[in-house]
Amino acid sequence: MSKALNEKPNAEPLPVAASAAVMLNGRYLPPPEDKDGKTWVRTSALIHADAQELYDMWRDVEAAPLWQEQIEKVTRTGQTTSHWVMQSGGKDKDTDNDEDKRKTIEWDSEILKDEPGHRIAWRSIGGESDNAGEVVFEASPGGRGTMVTVLQEFRMGKLASAWETITGRNPKQAIIENLRHLKALAETGEIPRTQGQPHGPRGIIARVKKSMYGEDTTTPPGLNRKAS
Amino acid sequence: MKALCWMGSNNVEVQTVDDPTILNPHDAIVKITRTAICGSDLHLFDGFIPTMEEGDILGHEFMGVVEETGKGVTNLQRGNRVVVPFTIACGNCEFCKKKIWSACDNTNPNAHLMEAAYGYSGSGLFGYSHMMGGYAGGQAQYVRVPFANVGPLKIETDLPDEKVLFLSDIFPTGYMAAENAQIQENDTVAVWGCGPVGQFAIASAFMLGAARVIAIDRLPERLELARSIGAITVDYSEEDVSVLTALKDLTGGIGPDSCIDAVGLEAHSAQLQGIYDKVKTALMLETDRPSVLRQAIQSVRKGGTVSIPGVYGGLLDKVPFGAAFGKGITMKMGQTNMHNYMKPLLERIEKGHIDPSYIISHRIKLEEAPDMYKIWRDKKEKVTKIVIDPWAA
Repeated sequence: MSKALNEKPNAEPLPVAASAAVMLNGRYLPPPEDKDGKTWVRTSALIHADAQELYDMWRDVEAAPLWQEQIEKVTRTGQTTSHWVMQSGGKDKDTDNDEDKRKTIEWDSEILKDEPGHRIAWRSIGGESDNAGEVVFEASPGGRGTMVTVLQEFRMGKLASAWETITGRNPKQAIIENLRHLKALAETGEIPRTQGQPHGPRGIIARVKKSMYGEDTTTPPGLNRKAS
Repeated sequence: MKALCWMGSNNVEVQTVDDPTILNPHDAIVKITRTAICGSDLHLFDGFIPTMEEGDILGHEFMGVVEETGKGVTNLQRGNRVVVPFTIACGNCEFCKKKIWSACDNTNPNAHLMEAAYGYSGSGLFGYSHMMGGYAGGQAQYVRVPFANVGPLKIETDLPDEKVLFLSDIFPTGYMAAENAQIQENDTVAVWGCGPVGQFAIASAFMLGAARVIAIDRLPERLELARSIGAITVDYSEEDVSVLTALKDLTGGIGPDSCIDAVGLEAHSAQLQGIYDKVKTALMLETDRPSVLRQAIQSVRKGGTVSIPGVYGGLLDKVPFGAAFGKGITMKMGQTNMHNYMKPLLERIEKGHIDPSYIISHRIKLEEAPDMYKIWRDKKEKVTKIVIDPWAA
């Protein structure tokens, strides 16, 4: 490092990057671009919780339906493998249109890298979804909580269209929302919700708006399994 | 229960709706004893604010008695009297820890809507647009209060509702405006807008040491209230009155030490710029009508402070930034960080330093609320503040 600047009382050594990381050797890395039929989303959140605790929440794949949107059930099938079932027609109970309610898509997933308290990487290994992802948990500068960065890649297949066409969520937005839900759950013990609160009669325009605003996507329950 | 619902632009109705229930561990259900109509409810009423849905329950200034608590709420019990802040804060995120409660990261379920429009999201609010969370509000008989372990302020004395109700929004908002104005002892402070927030900004400016407060409005009943607590008033609608000249005349030519814009985006202006802003907003070339902000920047003294509690929503035109830079002014603004002020201001009320009920002009039943929205919008009666008893038959 340069000796030109000697006064940096709180500066920390720069991290060496994992592939989901936002920097490499002190240079900012922009997120990957969508190409060749692959869609990428990279999102990050500063969470006031311990990296190990957040890793544990993420690694407990069977608990994913508590905080991930539209995920109905996850079953462990081995040390590093799991089977995922996603609702593709689930809607908020407020809406009448639940004819698609029973539709689901399913896939298997395998963990490729597992560094406790620091990093998890995975990919799908068959089924109706072609996806891969990585999550990195790092202490934020100055120890202000944990910086969680998620990099998710998927091919536009049934998974992406299940989000997009049925729930009104852009699939990239679903990844962003899931990280937001994890953050709320870790920091407060619940996920904020308005579904189920009282309201006056909603006309047709209000129903269209509700769907447009993404309010038809069921907010995950957010209850900690230890508590329930 | 009965609740006042937004049913479209310029249309609110009392509807019978389901009672609220506990949905999350930190929820509480509060039986509302008093609730008020806020100036910002008029922005919703007239359709100025996007992302409202028919059937939304309005109201963000309310207090009542705790009826039920979720299993995560340990600081409140059934029967506690509480005032509820209009902003919802989680208490645990980066911003709550910094005491910037109105920027809470975890209470807006529709944060993505606000991020799409503004690039960030603030906290959820009661009875406001869906961009702000779409939480059901308190112009109703009951309300669900999320994160009730953080927000509600217990009232443990027998002070009547009317003296403490305004701790839910406007008193802390006026106080934070005065605090943001960085008032030094014996300063002169100018306040634009003598509605409820302006009134409490005037009162708070005196509490924080101002020697003189100049209050600017056009409605006689508001100016009279401002004079009743010791302000000098300027009626900008009077012929021959120029606010800039008036402020120079009243400060020996240097301008006020601090200027408070308690008006915000729907400012009225009798001057040519008022017409200019009306045309531009009608053509959607500008979202806000910042005539007060312009005057505040133009009139504040060199090195002074402009504090902005008035709400702005978007893009502003012809803001004299050269004068702002040249004079080296400080500008402070933002949604009220309610949780910092409720308790200290309750203490001031308990000690008798101020009785916030002086601004109330109307006491009504819930059934009368739809008409009162229209009366207030049209300034047909001398309305300064409307308080609703949702249980009055």
